[in-house]
Amino acid sequence: MRIPFARNVRLVALAATTALTLTTLSACGGSSDSGSDSDSLEMWTFKQSHVGALRAAAEEFKKETGITVTIEAYTPDDAYTTKVQSSAKTGNLPDVLEVHSDGEDFVLGAAGVAADLQDQIPDSWSGRFQEAIKGSGTVTAQKFKESQAKDSTFKGVEQGQRFSVPLSAGTFGIVYANKQKLADAGITKAPATWEEFLAALEATHHKDPKTGGVSLGLKVKSTGLTWVLQPMAYAQLGKEAYSDLWGKDKAGDFSSPNGTKVLSMYDEITPYWMPGSQTLTIDEADQAFAQGKSAFAVGGTFTLAFLQQNGMKADDVLAFGMPAPKDGAIPQRALGPIALTGLSLTATSEQPENAKKWMEFLSGTDVAANFAKESADLPATELGADSAKVLGPALTSMMESFQGTPETTYDPSLNDFRPPGYDQDRAGEILADLTPLGKDSPTGTGDKLSKLNSNYWATQ
Amino acid sequence: MTTAPRTTAHGEAGGDGASRTPPAGGRAAKSGRASGGRPPRRRFGTEAVTGYLFVAPAVVLFAVMGLYTIGYGFLLSFASWNGFMPHWTWVGLDNYADLLWRSPIYAPRVRSAGLNTLWVMISVPLLTVLVSFPLAILLGQARRMQSILRSVFFLPYVTSGIAVFFAWQYILQPDGAVNLLLDQLGLGSLQQPQGWLGNPDTALPTMIVVTVWGHVPVAMLLYLTGLQTIDRSLLEAAELDGAGWWRTNLSVVWPLLRPITAIVVLLNLRDSLQGFQTFLVMTNGGPGDHTNVLGLEAYSLAFLKQLRPTLGLASALGWLLFAAALVLALINLRALRSKT
Repeated sequence: MRIPFARNVRLVALAATTALTLTTLSACGGSSDSGSDSDSLEMWTFKQSHVGALRAAAEEFKKETGITVTIEAYTPDDAYTTKVQSSAKTGNLPDVLEVHSDGEDFVLGAAGVAADLQDQIPDSWSGRFQEAIKGSGTVTAQKFKESQAKDSTFKGVEQGQRFSVPLSAGTFGIVYANKQKLADAGITKAPATWEEFLAALEATHHKDPKTGGVSLGLKVKSTGLTWVLQPMAYAQLGKEAYSDLWGKDKAGDFSSPNGTKVLSMYDEITPYWMPGSQTLTIDEADQAFAQGKSAFAVGGTFTLAFLQQNGMKADDVLAFGMPAPKDGAIPQRALGPIALTGLSLTATSEQPENAKKWMEFLSGTDVAANFAKESADLPATELGADSAKVLGPALTSMMESFQGTPETTYDPSLNDFRPPGYDQDRAGEILADLTPLGKDSPTGTGDKLSKLNSNYWATQ
Repeated sequence: MTTAPRTTAHGEAGGDGASRTPPAGGRAAKSGRASGGRPPRRRFGTEAVTGYLFVAPAVVLFAVMGLYTIGYGFLLSFASWNGFMPHWTWVGLDNYADLLWRSPIYAPRVRSAGLNTLWVMISVPLLTVLVSFPLAILLGQARRMQSILRSVFFLPYVTSGIAVFFAWQYILQPDGAVNLLLDQLGLGSLQQPQGWLGNPDTALPTMIVVTVWGHVPVAMLLYLTGLQTIDRSLLEAAELDGAGWWRTNLSVVWPLLRPITAIVVLLNLRDSLQGFQTFLVMTNGGPGDHTNVLGLEAYSLAFLKQLRPTLGLASALGWLLFAAALVLALINLRALRSKT
């Protein structure tokens, strides 16, 4: 049976169908209304712990300038990258992006997403930052050289260009210890050497084998390599021999006696990992520590904020840099501070001047001090004599691990000795078979790491 | 009943002749049955436009979301790009060569992930059939609470998702429910101190079990549907011939449901080949790379390479997986034709 269409019904249906079609088409298009209001800015961040501090700063900024700044967070990092990626394609970027310093900012700059800030950051602005990181975001000669590699992620940048200014600083390889568990095991002070660290682990683990170990988010494959092995190996071998581990020469790489030595030392942690650490993300491992499931956790300066978010008080933890081996080449090794996150101005911002005002505002000493208090993170701004008072004992003790000379300081941002295109996750997977999985020996692991590096060198 | 104008080859019985839609404009003109005083050709033109406009949203959606995406992805497989750079770098077939044999970085990973995928592709369809077929038989014969039992066994399908996979993670942890249960049952020696996903020897088998758990409901439903199509007289004849429960199910029901088995196997093969969400959420390929599968490797190349220009490699791997799925589908189709 068929029911005939009335003419007006057909017209209505046609109109609805046309509207649907146009809606479909318009949905596939982008909009570019970012920053359309001259008195409002938008900023995106991937750090949930920064949101409160940034919103508080935005309120102050509005009082001072009348400009509203909306802060949006997209987490985790991978989701943030994808969000920026897709928004760049559809023209929906905000005015300011928080970025991983000296890496992601260059990628965005090379792609034309981040604006070049060269010659736009006066000394009065850059002079506020800590000395070691005041130039962060700038394409140095070394970074320009790295950009020339075949698989470089920021091919096309020019030396001297600047794509971000630093916002937060810090470093990796910070060990957090549960004071109560240390006391229960008879330990009263932070381990000063790698050997003391292992002895402390042995003591807490002996006291309680289930909750006396060390937690680390080994599901994120490079954490064991970059947060534990590298700072320890740098101290054990010294700068040159450490760099040689990634070199082309087999006499000094991971398959050499030096490589076997540091891998064997790293393997000494194996009995003390918190059970199941290899299945945990960084946040899950930190949560486990905050819940008392481990006596130690390895992270970065930024970890304290997360621990506090999970109910741990700063006074409950003892924080110290990953200790150096007693008989190593650099027994008093320091951990170099680096700019961890920075602020990039997007090239599509319709209010670049207002956006720069906001970025500069965040670098002010008072604003940065409040940022530190609110986020429990180290600001890039030099806080001067009041820093200990502002930062509190835990963050201050972490800053003490920064004190060293260029030769004795492990700088996690230096990569020029590694093969171009080197992927630390692949190395992390190989390392996981050594510890915590115990599927391979230090020698076997060294051979595999050596082969991996050779493959990367060969592809250049 | 339908309210949409239908075009049929032979016209339609019933209804008024004035509303009949001719199969072609010329035929309508010849039949002289057009009504309303409008020329037939014009009326047909209006109806054709109406029809086209009705299908336009679907066509536009398919063109934009389907054809454009497929074409874009295919072209990308011949390029090097990180998702940000303004221009692609054309590399020809390099991505395919790098993945399959040439690159010492990518080819070994693809082989290793391929081996894990192969285990999943063998185990998941096999175990799914082994679990869902008997389950469907038992449920089909249940006298009481059949619908409740069906709902219970279908729950994994309707609840599958990120939250459930996280729940599985907790269950499989060192202090999770599985180890606890084993301890309670006096089977402490079977406990996994590093968790079921933390031991490289148990991680992949555990992931296979979790995947099967998610696939059984649909397979069971398909078998239940198939069971309802079996002529009862066949089963009664088997009983009269003295066949017992086992014999009837193995020699009568199982062969009759072979087409369903083929569909279940095909669906599971495809999912095992291309699916990776469970692995991404629960293991991220770990510990180490012991549970890395091809779908996860493609995802990792696309989104987890810290903005390296590997989107083309990811796309090429995606197309290789598509080709493999196509071959499997063709083989399955052939098998279905020959058996049914």
